[in-house]
Amino acid sequence: MNQLTASAAIATGRVQLASVRQRLLVTAKVRVLVVAVGFVFLTLTALVRLTQLGLFEQAPDRRSLAEALLPPRGEITDRNGVPLARAFPSYSLWFNPKALGEGGNPLVKTPEEVARALVQIFPDADYKDLVERLKSGRGSYLRKRVLPEEANKVFALGEPALEFPRENQRYYPQGSLAANVLGYVDEEGKGHVGMEQVLEPRLLDPAQRGTPVALSIDSRAQGALEDELLRGMQESNAKGAAGIVLDVDSGEVVALASLPSFNPNRSDRAFNDLVFNRVSNQVYELGSTFKPITIAAAIDAGVVTDLSVRYPAAPLHIAGRTIHDSHNFGASLNVPEALIHSSNIVTAQVADKLGGPLLKQTMMALHMNQRPTIELPARGFPLWPRGENKAGDWSRITTMTVSYGHGIAVTPLHLACAYAALVNGGIWRPATLFKVDPAHIPAGTRVFKASTSARIRQLLRMIVADGTGRKADASGFRVGGKTGSAEKPGNGGYRKTSLVATFAAAFPMDKPRYVVIAMLDEPQGTAATSGQRTAAWNAAPIVGRVVPRIGPLLGVVPDASRDVDISDLSPLIGNGEGE
Amino acid sequence: MTSGGPLMPPATGTASAAVPSPSAMQRFRRTRRSELVIWWREIDRVLLGLVLVLMIVGAIAVAAASPASAHRLSTHQKALGDLYFFWRQLEMQALGLIGMFAVSLLPKDTARRAAIMLAGVMIVALVLVPIMGTEVKGAKRWVLGIQPSEFLKPGFAIAVAWILSWKVRDPHMPVIRLSMVPMALVAILLMAQPDFGSTVLFGGVWFVLVLLSGLPLARVGWALGAGIVAVILAYFFYPNATHRIDAFLSGGSEFDQVDLAMRTLVAGGWSGTGLWLGARKNALPEAHTDYIFSVIGEEFGLISCAVVVILYCAIVLRVLLRLVDEEDLFTVLAATGLVAQLAGQAFINILVNLQLFPSKGMTLPLISYGGSSTIALLLGVGFLLAITRRNPYLTRETFHLGELTRK
Repeated sequence: MNQLTASAAIATGRVQLASVRQRLLVTAKVRVLVVAVGFVFLTLTALVRLTQLGLFEQAPDRRSLAEALLPPRGEITDRNGVPLARAFPSYSLWFNPKALGEGGNPLVKTPEEVARALVQIFPDADYKDLVERLKSGRGSYLRKRVLPEEANKVFALGEPALEFPRENQRYYPQGSLAANVLGYVDEEGKGHVGMEQVLEPRLLDPAQRGTPVALSIDSRAQGALEDELLRGMQESNAKGAAGIVLDVDSGEVVALASLPSFNPNRSDRAFNDLVFNRVSNQVYELGSTFKPITIAAAIDAGVVTDLSVRYPAAPLHIAGRTIHDSHNFGASLNVPEALIHSSNIVTAQVADKLGGPLLKQTMMALHMNQRPTIELPARGFPLWPRGENKAGDWSRITTMTVSYGHGIAVTPLHLACAYAALVNGGIWRPATLFKVDPAHIPAGTRVFKASTSARIRQLLRMIVADGTGRKADASGFRVGGKTGSAEKPGNGGYRKTSLVATFAAAFPMDKPRYVVIAMLDEPQGTAATSGQRTAAWNAAPIVGRVVPRIGPLLGVVPDASRDVDISDLSPLIGNGEGE
Repeated sequence: MTSGGPLMPPATGTASAAVPSPSAMQRFRRTRRSELVIWWREIDRVLLGLVLVLMIVGAIAVAAASPASAHRLSTHQKALGDLYFFWRQLEMQALGLIGMFAVSLLPKDTARRAAIMLAGVMIVALVLVPIMGTEVKGAKRWVLGIQPSEFLKPGFAIAVAWILSWKVRDPHMPVIRLSMVPMALVAILLMAQPDFGSTVLFGGVWFVLVLLSGLPLARVGWALGAGIVAVILAYFFYPNATHRIDAFLSGGSEFDQVDLAMRTLVAGGWSGTGLWLGARKNALPEAHTDYIFSVIGEEFGLISCAVVVILYCAIVLRVLLRLVDEEDLFTVLAATGLVAQLAGQAFINILVNLQLFPSKGMTLPLISYGGSSTIALLLGVGFLLAITRRNPYLTRETFHLGELTRK
């Protein structure tokens, strides 16, 4: 073997090796691309699958973080931010028989064992009812409002069929306080009766439900009003009671109570007969509380200019009917005396002089012919005298009866708004349950002249100082007001023993701030009311007790040195008893 | 290129030979720095960036899943903090990054030798597992606090690539048959644990490497057939596989792991519930490991899941397409093997979560929580970086599809 051949062999070997290397490298690179294509295929498969899942799988509840932090239903507070209705997400206990799949036993243990374990956790649960539900094979709620620690105990039973859906409950931290204003939320989450119903869209709107809604209610005043109304109702054995505190300048309802009431936290209980609102929904003949309105209309119209003019006080015979007073007050009475003693006869004569059209016009200006203006959904329509001719003009007798609050039935809320107009300088404003910005108080409409209003303030103060309203005279609070005790209509006329006793008041009379109305439905004569049924003995004392409790809270300080000046009218009256 | 190490400036040789002097120290420091500069120029920075992004995703995902798993694994004696797994994962990632950096600094040949030695040591450790291993959840996989099968992964891919690349020197050597030896050994040792999932993964990597090394297409068909037969055999003789494949084919039962994972995955819709706001994950076993993809789905949405999938795909394509102008067969094989290892594991895990593959006890690489697996995977990335280092100033023989026709 010579050198030439050897070097040639090496050369060919190297060339071969180089070509092998080249060939192997090309094959490897081609197959690298195949592997790359394989991974791209896997990627596309995964992406298609993800798209499919995103499009066709059941979409979850969309809740952003911000939304999750919002209450599911907006809160309601009083005018000072005290919560009246709160969102309260809680667990429920739901039996889902399909949790372990279709067919087969829905429970791991026997229904009896599970029911026994549940009764140990919830001692007030009904064992038989639970067994029945667990055996029925149908999904049902076993319990509502389960506490987290109770839920943990149930979870520890190890029954997948017992589920804990989180549900939104409404919680009213003040219990039954202002229940008729707030209403309640039913198990489907729908608001009923009060502001829960009215505000439903606002409370559920994601954009707005983060901010609580402030009502005009002051929870402290509301509590005092409810407390005193309940006491008055119990003392007089009345069927029901209604009360309202109204800001005379803004129309804000500071307190509104209707008794008997209900606890909105227990919406599972039947309280359909208790949700009725006597303040805004029930119309009553409110009797003598209308007399100041009639007198104000007469003063305003110039029919009564001289308050010392005396009117005969003998029973009136008009159109076959007789108008008489509760007592005989002597031969004649002037207007201040007629109000202090609550004389139907004199008021009727003044109304007669004023005339039906003007009285009707005043009543209409006070919105007595339409439903009360307030946000609540249930508002009663007044029984408005139709009038005797086609134009609806009132006859003499209608005019006269309306003048002392008979033949016309309105809600206590109508009366509150009318009294606000009587004392605030003559402006009527709609009542509202929303807190009103002092810069945006509604203008209202003028019903009485400011001078008339000033006169009425004197007269109302005199009624409390010297007349039928003396039991409402909370010392230092300058209360003024008028009693009204109307017999309720029954079969074939009025019933002497079924009364509606009302006291319509305002305070302080030197610069009125609030109207307070207390009304008792069918009060009885009891020892606590000296055996009397009339407003002077049951409704007036309620106002007398409410005013000192709410006055300081609402910024009215008792001051014995201040009062409305009644010295020009004092000489016109002698002391007497009246109704 | 066969000389291995980076091109050293001539000064290096003289400096190392000379007795250290103040000026030499100065030079030494400068060379250290220049070595780092060269490293920075030569490594695949895009790959490094993608891996780091994936690790950040992993840290966030483990933070999301940590409370669920911590509650599940807390016992009466030992309560784990909500973020226990998150902090542990950060430690492991830090350790792994140090390892990755150290390995990626190695010259290619040293890296190859180190990987082969690692594979050898881990095979020995695998042998020790049945003897002195600790049992976790019904399988013996741990020895001396580490999981040998995890550390074997990078070493195995490089060792097999090395064996297959012998063919360049001697075209007549039966390299494919030779490579079956480590494959069979590893398969037997893994099935002894038993660890069906890892066996399938190692088998897949081996198959990819064999495919690359020029297995004739007819044999490719045979190999695929053999793989199917192996799975069928496993189905009949290996109860765990039977169970899992049955569950996959029949759609599984309600409230098994896969079903819970699917409920978790879709619970967040497209955009997810937000970090720590998911609820379904709490019912999920292995939220921080095998089913972390579903937790990502619940808390960050299906779109984030798609981003994760695309990240893995980007890593694969980055590595594989860069190999197209590579001139060294070993580099092509080893890099493909390493990336197939990582991405194969990722896609198996993802497809299991998407209910497109029977469930395997396999983690999502670089994202799932894991001590051994995180460190081992980052070592693998380090090897990948070391092997794919290249001088950016050299032009290369580029690959054209035309060469296919010339062959």
